[in-house]
Amino acid sequence: MISRKASLLLIAPALALMAALFLYPLGFSLVSAFRQEDGGGWGAGNFLRAWQFYSADIVFSLVIVGLSTLLVAFLAAAIAGYLTLGENRWCLAVLRWLYRWPLFIPFVVAAQLMRTFLAKNGMMNNALVELGLLTPFTTHSYLDWRGIVITFVWKQTPFVALLLAGAMAALDRSTIEAARNLGASRLRLLWDVVLPQVRPSFGTGLILSFVTMMSVLSVPMMINAQTPTLLTVDMAWRINAYGDYGLANALGLIAYAMTGLVAWFYLRQGLKENR
Amino acid sequence: MALQIAKTLLPLALTLAGTGIAQAQDTLYVATGGSQNMVDYVTDYLGPMFEAQNPGWSVNVVGTGPGDAGSQAILEKLTAQKAKDSWDTDVIVTAQLKTAEMVKDGLLMKYRDDIDTGKLVTSDVAKNALGTDVDGYVMPMFISQTAIAYNPALVDHVPTSMSGIRDWAEAHKGAFGYNGIKNGMSGVAFTTAWIYAFGGDADVLMKGPYDKAQEAGWDKAFAALKTFDQSVTFTPGNAGTLDMLNRGEIAMGPVWVDMFYSWQQDGRLNPGLKITLPEPGMPGQPYYYAIPAKAAHAEAAKKFIALATSPEVQAEGIVKKFNWYPGIDASHLQGVLDQASWDKLFTDIPPETLAKNAKPFPLGGYFTDMLEQYETQVTN
Repeated sequence: MISRKASLLLIAPALALMAALFLYPLGFSLVSAFRQEDGGGWGAGNFLRAWQFYSADIVFSLVIVGLSTLLVAFLAAAIAGYLTLGENRWCLAVLRWLYRWPLFIPFVVAAQLMRTFLAKNGMMNNALVELGLLTPFTTHSYLDWRGIVITFVWKQTPFVALLLAGAMAALDRSTIEAARNLGASRLRLLWDVVLPQVRPSFGTGLILSFVTMMSVLSVPMMINAQTPTLLTVDMAWRINAYGDYGLANALGLIAYAMTGLVAWFYLRQGLKENR
Repeated sequence: MALQIAKTLLPLALTLAGTGIAQAQDTLYVATGGSQNMVDYVTDYLGPMFEAQNPGWSVNVVGTGPGDAGSQAILEKLTAQKAKDSWDTDVIVTAQLKTAEMVKDGLLMKYRDDIDTGKLVTSDVAKNALGTDVDGYVMPMFISQTAIAYNPALVDHVPTSMSGIRDWAEAHKGAFGYNGIKNGMSGVAFTTAWIYAFGGDADVLMKGPYDKAQEAGWDKAFAALKTFDQSVTFTPGNAGTLDMLNRGEIAMGPVWVDMFYSWQQDGRLNPGLKITLPEPGMPGQPYYYAIPAKAAHAEAAKKFIALATSPEVQAEGIVKKFNWYPGIDASHLQGVLDQASWDKLFTDIPPETLAKNAKPFPLGGYFTDMLEQYETQVTN
């Protein structure tokens, strides 16, 4: 048994790293967000300007990332559910092999892939035209909000599915077998028996996905040229074009608040259930 | 077999050793804003020429990206070094608005009278950048112009004015494309042209004085632009507009004239595409060569800029290879540039139209207000 002091010493490097690389920048951006640009002093000026300039983008970010998270939840549950409850061995093997691929592809590469795939004259539309399903004049570009959602969902589903499939595999199979013996369909099994038991992992996976998607710059920048767009693009623009760190940090704080809100909902839900 | 491998690897090893030696010598650090073509200009053309003429020197160039953001990055880099005695950037290539800021902040060196080619430029852009006096601090590298590119196969009656373009775009939903203001200067130029055409007295915006009351007509113009934006396609950048034109995804859009001609010259753009300069005009801008106030290699930097603004380089590099309008007075290119290369600059836009419809960007104050109001009134 090591003493209290010694254990503090042991975790000191980790703490110092946290403080230097996370807490200090966080504090710095907080301070800078409330610092007034003209005349110095403190105030909410940056937030007022953030709302005046980018209110549409703030709402847009919340809606797009929220929608992507919902779709990820649906698809991840379907994939993990089939991996746990599916019976066709051939299908299981293929799915297991395939679904993880996007995990290994960085966002910027995924965005570039989608750009060539979803453009008006991109691979998807060309294939549909070749199949005779569309004509070159009826094709649409998906390089707008839909492109962002498609890329996010494609990239994040395997991450949540992986966590979820792991949690499902660790479940006590007897509950599943019992329900099955009583004649429950597979959908019912998934919804009423399996998913409720893996809720903590599911929630964690979804929140981590939400936070990740909120922070991606490359995807909205490369796929969505129009406005509204995600907050990350506005932050980059404010810093790159104007050196306006105050407003950029205010936007960052608004993004923190959004993710914080989601995490809070989730935690509150968890606490309620444990009571 | 082993011999074979050794034979293949030997030249490689020698090359690597060679670069090792080169790095041990003096290096001139060049930072350039602007699109990739401006970096290519230094790496592929000007840099090697300077190295050949000045043994022992190598040129290192970094590109900081298009639009004012690219020049802002250079400004921040210089500001960060302000307290030091010697700065690590020797030559910078920046756009007007930020160069003016750098002059005001005392970040640049007055050098034009020190170089022979300083006398070769008499145009106003060498003295005044969007209302700021920059006389002596800058040499224009080139003048660039924006215009409207279109696909004649898809556009029957080419509009000759901004209002014509507005009507055409609203009648052909999605066929007009531009890149907003966040993704490069061609979109900023289109927005400027829109304000010049529909926002009141354009002359005051270009010549001053700065007075907020002049912006009274902008609200209406921006509201109209917001409606206009409903029927256009947004492109991801200066190059993005050209790409989409090339793939037939849009039929018309604002582009930089030099990029347009260069892409056509390189076979990257449908040779059938054309450009036009609509009334009352679209803006163009010079890019400036400047030397940071405490550049470590100021003498070499002056030599570099003198070479870059010599009539031979302006003719061969700026006009012939990269399709820009020259930075020094055109009269000095006579005799060094063949007529055919000169005429090529005016294939689609004749000199008279250029003289009439090529405008500068508005004064710094108006320019900043315009970009801000675009964000508060058009995109939000």
